[in-house]
Amino acid sequence: MGERIDLPQGTLDLLILRTLLNGPHHGWAISERVQQVSSEVLSIQQGSLYPALHRLERRGWIKARWGTSENNRRAKYYELTKSGAKQLEQETEAWRKLTVAVGQILEGA
Amino acid sequence: MLDDLRFRLRALFRRDAVEEELEEEIRFHFDREVEKHMRLGMDEREAKRRARLGFGGQEQVKEDCREARGTGFIELSLQDAKYALRQLRAHPTFALVMILTLALSIGANSAIFSVIDGVLLKKLPYPHPERLVRLFLSNTAYPKFPLNPFDFRDFRARNRSFESMAAFTRGDMQLSGSGEPVRLNGFGVTSGYFRVLGLQPELGREFDLQAETPGNGLQVILSDGLWRTRFGADPNIVGRKIALNMQPYTVMGVMPAGTEHPGNDYHAVAYGENVDVWWPFSFAGDPNRRGSHFVEGIGRLKEGVSVTRARAEMNAIMAEIAREHPDAAGWTVLIVPLYTEIVGSNRQMLLVLLGAVGMVLLIACANAANLQLARASERQREIAVRLAMGAPRLRVMRQLLTESLLISFAGGAFGLVLAFGGVRALVSFLPAGFPRAHDIHVSAPVFLFTLLVSLMTGILFGLAPARQASRIDPRQGLQSGGRSSSASRNQSRIRSALVVSEVSLACVLLIGAGLMLRSFLNLLHLDPGFRQEHVLTASLSLPHAQYNSERTARFYDQLTANLSALPGVENAGAGSDLPWTGYDENLGGFIIEGKKPPPNQEFHARFHLATSGYFSALGIPLLEGRFFTEADKKDAPMSLIINRAMADRYWLHEDVIGKRISFEDVPKKDSDWTTIVGVVGDVKDQPNSPGAEPAFWWSALQRFDSDMLIVIRTYGDPALLPDALRDEVHKLDPALAVADMKLMDKIVDTSVSTPRFAFVLVGVFAGLAIVLAAVGVYGVIAYTVSQRTQEFGLRLALGAQRDDLVRLVLGQSARLVAPGTILGVLLTLCLGRVVRSLIYGVSPADPMILGSVALLVLFVGLIASYRPARRATKADPMAMLRAE
Repeated sequence: MGERIDLPQGTLDLLILRTLLNGPHHGWAISERVQQVSSEVLSIQQGSLYPALHRLERRGWIKARWGTSENNRRAKYYELTKSGAKQLEQETEAWRKLTVAVGQILEGA
Repeated sequence: MLDDLRFRLRALFRRDAVEEELEEEIRFHFDREVEKHMRLGMDEREAKRRARLGFGGQEQVKEDCREARGTGFIELSLQDAKYALRQLRAHPTFALVMILTLALSIGANSAIFSVIDGVLLKKLPYPHPERLVRLFLSNTAYPKFPLNPFDFRDFRARNRSFESMAAFTRGDMQLSGSGEPVRLNGFGVTSGYFRVLGLQPELGREFDLQAETPGNGLQVILSDGLWRTRFGADPNIVGRKIALNMQPYTVMGVMPAGTEHPGNDYHAVAYGENVDVWWPFSFAGDPNRRGSHFVEGIGRLKEGVSVTRARAEMNAIMAEIAREHPDAAGWTVLIVPLYTEIVGSNRQMLLVLLGAVGMVLLIACANAANLQLARASERQREIAVRLAMGAPRLRVMRQLLTESLLISFAGGAFGLVLAFGGVRALVSFLPAGFPRAHDIHVSAPVFLFTLLVSLMTGILFGLAPARQASRIDPRQGLQSGGRSSSASRNQSRIRSALVVSEVSLACVLLIGAGLMLRSFLNLLHLDPGFRQEHVLTASLSLPHAQYNSERTARFYDQLTANLSALPGVENAGAGSDLPWTGYDENLGGFIIEGKKPPPNQEFHARFHLATSGYFSALGIPLLEGRFFTEADKKDAPMSLIINRAMADRYWLHEDVIGKRISFEDVPKKDSDWTTIVGVVGDVKDQPNSPGAEPAFWWSALQRFDSDMLIVIRTYGDPALLPDALRDEVHKLDPALAVADMKLMDKIVDTSVSTPRFAFVLVGVFAGLAIVLAAVGVYGVIAYTVSQRTQEFGLRLALGAQRDDLVRLVLGQSARLVAPGTILGVLLTLCLGRVVRSLIYGVSPADPMILGSVALLVLFVGLIASYRPARRATKADPMAMLRAE
């Protein structure tokens, strides 16, 4: 495991939305998945996930329902809503543009 | 948007469910995480530790979630409030003491603020009241003098600064018709008077310029109140004739309800809806004779014109007038905003009272802060636990602050209830003629003020304890199982500082109360110059239509003679005015035989009328010469009685009796001269006036005034006489109204009502302050004694005497009270200027008062710490040693 980098402001929301594109997940699964996919390079305090989930829910980009987990416990599942999917598209696009632009500057310099 | 709202509402109203869900969600996460770590081969303890580390502070996360839900603030506040309520219910005595002391002091503040709001803050009930001003004349002898009608007419015609200008003067009327005749408060007003005020008649119109010409004047405008009570709100009243002063007056209009009198100085009618009728003020005569001044001026400035500019213009006009009419020379024009004129000197007193009551609140705050600090140190362990559990410090502070706010708002709510009662008491106790008294209510601004004061109070006394508590080091707090020494040392410093400041504020108030008591006593013990006991007074007004000068003289002569003959009456008289009831500052310019006035000045004095019995009925002593007699009648040589002040001013060290003065410009014959026949003692305008003004009296048989005041001195209780007086008046003329029956005692009482009001209120506040300060001293000393029980036990075990301990504790108390007292005295010396206008015959630095207050405060401080000191001596040395 190399040195971990802190998550840039606001990107946690993007990661959560992207994770939920594959289908509903509960909080722990989201946390595991984000960490796995990011090859454990990103350092995310697990606790910070939940306020972000609640915030996204309030905005209507994800919705929550209670379901049964793989080990047969009641768990709160989050899924992407239509407006959430749209938001994800927009933000992904914006993110791409940003990284390309920043990349070009850094390469060019 | 809608989703957002629904989400927030659910979060708010289904809070418990939402909280439970959050709890479950986090537990689920935690358990899965532990499971994961255990699968990787950790033991359960290590797995849990790792899971906790990975997750972060649970409380903090929950907090963040609540915030993310968008209801964080409200929710937290509700939660804090619930928590605080639980805390308070667990300590009911503490809560009750805090709430009650705060209620008392907040209530007192709200009550005083109600007065301030009604009197000082509320706009005057006229459109654009800031443009209304009163006009006066001024010279070195008479800084504020009424206008001459001709001067007024020139002012009105020549000025450009005013939109409109009017003059008015008091003149009561008698309404006859059905039932007993009544005296109405009346004013003669020039045309345009109501336009100046910005008011319009509800019915009809106001007087036009023609009405100012004598002979056109049998017109009247009625007040709404009179129209309703006496004329059944007759909608067709305009044009009807009514009998006023036994003459038919045509009703020109009716003013709407809420038409308030703008106040007047001469024969004052209190501000408010106190005028019943207005009649057209008319004048004529030789416009070159401008010596008599008796009308009051009021004007509405044009928009954008300042008082300074208007004054400059008016003075230019006055100078012009003086060139044209030498009679009018020597005056400048004084312009006073109406607001200033109405509120007057009461502003200072009200602000001083607000300051005083604010100090009481500060003391109550200091007490509350002390109690909170003491409680915070008892709760150190609880707070340490909460901090250790990951509660953010800000959150702990917030919780403690919420508790303080809850207390202060409860205090404020109770205070408001007290204020309702307090305001009613205050209004009934207000000094006589207090401006705008009818505007004083517990109104919306008062609610707002109370809310604000409660909020600030809560923050003020809650902040220090909350900060203090949140600084607790959780480790230390838990280990020491109660108190950490460095924090408590810091705390005791704060608490001592609070008590010192409380004591100093209480000191200031006590000294203030002492000064006011002294002033009040000074005024009470002043020799008034007359004897007030057993004197009944009343006012009569004879209608001009029936009473020419001769009949007027005969009427008063006959009436006073008949009254004197009544059983139980010592003597009776009549005069143009009474002592201490405000004075119509007429300037009687005159010539003294054989003397020349200094250049640009004239001899002057106040003039009055008196019958032969007037002076003895009032108990004004004769110093030289004689009183008036039956011989001082119409065709006899004119005679005059003067007061001592006039004798001293113009004939110092001379024999006054027999000296002559004249009111003619160029006296020619003997009958142009008036001879001084007597000198009477001085009576000041008001009990607190610096000195008596020169004054003289004409014989009521030689000069006439239809409006006179009757004075009757009795052997027994004068309160038994009113019926007899009314009978005697009606025997002579059944159509006359007898008005303003008052005992002279009452008039004297009224004239000291302002100093008494100030003294009683400041006294009550000072009493409250010293009790609160004593509680504060008691609290701190009791607390330190309880802290030092071990030490005391040890001292006793080592052979200290119990008296030594008492001395030790009392010494500690003195170390708080003495600096407080010194500070208080210094503070008062700085503030002395503020109260100077409210005190009489005593210096703000009066050593007697400063000394006795300092002793009183020290004494109270010792009393307050005596009980804790006794408790200190009860420390059991054996128990102490065992405990260690």
